[in-house]
Amino acid sequence: MDNLREIARDGLNELLKAGAGKAACSLTLIDKQELNVDLGEPSLLRTIFDASVNLVAIKDQKKGSTAVNRTDRSALRQAAADVLAIATAAAPDEAHDIAEAQPPAEFSSGGSRPDLDKMYSRMKELLREVGARYPRVVIRQAILDFTRTKKYFLNSNGVDFVTSKGIYRCLVFFCSREGERISSFNITGFSLKDLEQELLDCGSLDTLLRQSTEQITTHPLQGKFTGEVIITPDCLEDLIGFLTGAISDGPFISGTSIYRDKLNRQVAAPLFSLHSRPLDNEICDGYFVTADGYAARNSTIVEKGVLKSFLLSLYGSRKTGRPRAANDGGAYVVDPGETDFSDMVRSVEKGILLARFSGGEPSENGDFAGVAKNSYLIEGGEIKYPLSESMISGNFAELLMNITAVSRERINFGNAILPWISASGVTVSGK
Amino acid sequence: MLTLNLHDYKGLFTAYTELRVQENRSVNITFVKGNNTLNLRSSTGGISARVCRNGSWGFASHPGISEENVKTVIRAATDNALFLDSKEQKEKDPLPAVPASSENDFSTSRPRLSQKDLVEFIRELDDHIASSYPQLAGRTLSLRCLDMEKRLLTSDGSYSHSMIPRSFIYIQLSVIKNGSPVELFDVYGGLGQFEDQFSAPGDLFEEVARQYHHLIKKSEGVFADAGLKTCVLDADLAGILAHEAIGHTVEADIVMSGSVAGDKIGREVASPLITMIDFANSYQGETCPVPVYVDDEGTAAKDAVLIKEGVLKSFLHNKESANHYRVAPAGNARAYAYSDEPLIRMRNTVILPGTSTLEAMIASVDDGYYLIRPGNGQADSTSEFMFGIVLGYEIKKGKIGRAIKDTTISGVAFDVLKTVSMVSGEMSWMSGGMCGKKQPIPVGMGGPAIKCQLNVGGR
Repeated sequence: MDNLREIARDGLNELLKAGAGKAACSLTLIDKQELNVDLGEPSLLRTIFDASVNLVAIKDQKKGSTAVNRTDRSALRQAAADVLAIATAAAPDEAHDIAEAQPPAEFSSGGSRPDLDKMYSRMKELLREVGARYPRVVIRQAILDFTRTKKYFLNSNGVDFVTSKGIYRCLVFFCSREGERISSFNITGFSLKDLEQELLDCGSLDTLLRQSTEQITTHPLQGKFTGEVIITPDCLEDLIGFLTGAISDGPFISGTSIYRDKLNRQVAAPLFSLHSRPLDNEICDGYFVTADGYAARNSTIVEKGVLKSFLLSLYGSRKTGRPRAANDGGAYVVDPGETDFSDMVRSVEKGILLARFSGGEPSENGDFAGVAKNSYLIEGGEIKYPLSESMISGNFAELLMNITAVSRERINFGNAILPWISASGVTVSGK
Repeated sequence: MLTLNLHDYKGLFTAYTELRVQENRSVNITFVKGNNTLNLRSSTGGISARVCRNGSWGFASHPGISEENVKTVIRAATDNALFLDSKEQKEKDPLPAVPASSENDFSTSRPRLSQKDLVEFIRELDDHIASSYPQLAGRTLSLRCLDMEKRLLTSDGSYSHSMIPRSFIYIQLSVIKNGSPVELFDVYGGLGQFEDQFSAPGDLFEEVARQYHHLIKKSEGVFADAGLKTCVLDADLAGILAHEAIGHTVEADIVMSGSVAGDKIGREVASPLITMIDFANSYQGETCPVPVYVDDEGTAAKDAVLIKEGVLKSFLHNKESANHYRVAPAGNARAYAYSDEPLIRMRNTVILPGTSTLEAMIASVDDGYYLIRPGNGQADSTSEFMFGIVLGYEIKKGKIGRAIKDTTISGVAFDVLKTVSMVSGEMSWMSGGMCGKKQPIPVGMGGPAIKCQLNVGGR
C-alpha cells in the first residue's frame, strides 16, 4: 500500500520536475470479480485487474491532463512529460486551478474481498426464485460483481487523500414471454454492501419482474390526452438528470442554463426536496473525494422546491463566479412525501404510470418526447392495463413545477433513494 | 506497447482460449464558448484472456503487459471457467472454428500533428464560428479521436493485428429564443486518424453554415403534431433506422431471449424495397466506417445479409450462438476495451439504396415530416424502436414547411418496414456515435432516404 502511495507521489513529483506550476496525481487500483448470467444461466466469470493514473498539470494558467493505466515509474515519467506538452498546447485560462490544502485523510467503506461462493449461490437463488414466482420471465442478462477500489489523490497544494471501497453491484435485464408474445425489456440495478439479503428483495426488482409478466399483454393507446404522470423510482433518474445536468458546468459556462438566475428561487413544487448525499449512512455506494480533490460533503440541491445549490466544479465555479459544489452530484436522495402510492393512483383521473422513458435527450429548455415503456394507463383512480406504442411529451422544467404528490414509500438502490412522484401536464399519445 | 509475441504463450492454453493485447488511445479537446475546458490525451491498454470449458466461460484481464501478466490472465481465466464448469456442467458442443489471419493498420501515413496543432485547429474553427455568428448564445466544439489497436491469438488457429482509428469533431450551437435555449448538434469526421479526416478548419465552414441555418429555422420551429405520420427519413437517418429497428432485433443473443424475429427467418418482414446488410469491412469497393476483418473471437469477418427484398435471411452471431443455430459465424463478436469480453455487435449496418429521388419523395407527401438528423436511439425486445430527432421539417402539400422542435419517433420495426413505399438512390454513412450494450462499441450505419409511416412524439 505504501508503495502505491509512493508511486502516486512519484507521479506528482515528475509533474513538478517537468515544470508544472500546479499539479495533481490520482492513482486508482481496481479489482473486480463479476458473475454473468445470460439467458437464465450463469455463463461467464470475470476477474478484472485495472489501474488508472490521472495526471493534471497547470503551467502559466494552461492546463493539460492525461490518463494512463500503467503504474510503472517509466510510464509515469513519460506521462508526466506528455502532460506538460499537452498543457503547453492549451489556451490559457485564469479559471484553471487545483484544490487547496486540506488535512490528509483516509476513508474506507465496504468489504475488502468478494465471497465468490456467496455471489454464485445468491445468483442461483435469484434464478430459482424467479423461475418459481414468475415462470414467464426471461432473465436475458444479470450481472453481480464485487469491485474493490483503492484510490490515492495528491496535489501540489498538499492534498493527500486515500480511499478504500468495496461494493457489490447487481444489474438485471429481463423481459417476459408467453408463446409468441413478448413484453418490453426492463432493467434495474442496485448496490449492496454485503450479500446478506436475497437479491430478489433488493431495490425494485421483485415489483418490476411481476410487472414484466403483466406486460406480455399490452394495449396501444388510441388518440391523445394531457394528464397526470406518476413517475416510478427507477424512472425518476431521468427527471433528476435533467435538473442536475442543467445546473452543471457546461450550460453555465455556455450561458444557456435555464437555471442560471434561479438560485434561492422556486424551480419545483414545494413538495419536492432533492439532496446529494455521498456520505449518507443509507447510501452504501457513495464516495468521499471529488474529482477536483476535495473531501466530499452532503448537500441539498432543492429544498421545498427552492434551488439551493448548483453543481459546479472548481473550474466551473471560478469561471462563473458562483459557489463550488460540495460534491460531484450523484447519491441522490429525494425526501419522502405524505401520500401513500395507492392514494396517489386513486387521485389520478386520467394519466399514466411511467416506469421507463425511452426517448431522445431532452432539450436544454427541458422539452422531451419519448416512448412510455413498461408503463400503465391510469383511469378513474385505477391502474387499467400496460401500454404499448404510447408516447409522452412535455417539459421537464414545467414537470418539476407541476409536482402534485410525492410518495411516502421510497426505494433504496444503494446509490440513490427515490420515491414515486406525481405531476400534471404531460401529453400522452397513441396511434 | 504491443510488443509481446502472443504465439509464445499458446502452450499455456488448456481449453478453447482467446488471448488479446489491446490499447485504446484517445484525444479529447473541448472548447465551450471559447474556453478550452478539456485538453486530454489518454491511453488504456492491457492483456485479457477468455477461456471456454464445456460452455462455461472464464475471463481475466490485467493492465500490465508482461510475460508474467500473460500467464496470470490465462491462469485466472482458466480457473474462472473451471469454477463455473464445476458448478454448471453444461457439456456443450465445441465451438466452431473459422481460423483467420489478418493485418490491417489504418494509421495515417501523413506527419502526425501535435496536441498544440490540434488545439489550434479547434480554436481556429471556434473563432470562425464566434465571429461569423454573433447571435449564438452558446457553442461547444469537441474533438474526439480514438485509435483501437488489437492483437489476438486463439487456440483454434486465428491471429490478427488491427489498428482502427476514428476522428470526429462534434459541434453544438445554441441560440436563445423567447428566453429559452434552442440547440442543434452535428458531427463531422469518420474512419481514420485526424490527419486523414481533416486538413484545415476552413473545410468545415460550409457545413457549419448549414448547421447554423438549420438552427435558426429550428429556433422558429413548432412542436410536431403527435401521432402516426407519413415521414421521409433523410439518408442520414436511414442508418439509425437500420441499426435500431432491425439490427438489434436480429442479434442472436436478443433473438434467443425471445425477440420477435425468432421465428421469422424466410418470412416477409418488410417491403420488397428493403434489403439490409451488415457489411464486414467494405461496400462497393470502399472501406466502411468500422471495418472488421477478423472479429475478437478470431472469426474471419464476412457480410451478413439480414433482409433481402423484404425477406428475413439471417441473424448476427458469435461462435456460441452460431453453434446453437447450426450456422457459420460471420465475425460479429467484438469487444470495446482490453478488459471487455466480445459480445454480438453490428459492424456497418445499412439499408441498400433504391431508385427514387428525395425530391420526388417529399413531393409525394401531402401532410407529414421530413426528418434529417437523429439523436440517440433504443430498441426493444418487442421490436419497438425509438430514436430522437434533433432536426426536421413539416411537409405540407409536397413542400418543405416550418422546422420542428426536438422530438422522438417510434414504431414497431417490421410493421414500419412494411410501410416503406419509396427508397432513394443515394447512400449516406454515419459513424459518430457508439452503440451501448454492456459495453460501448463504434458502429457504422447507413442508407438512402426512406418514406414510411412512424409515430411522432409531440404536443
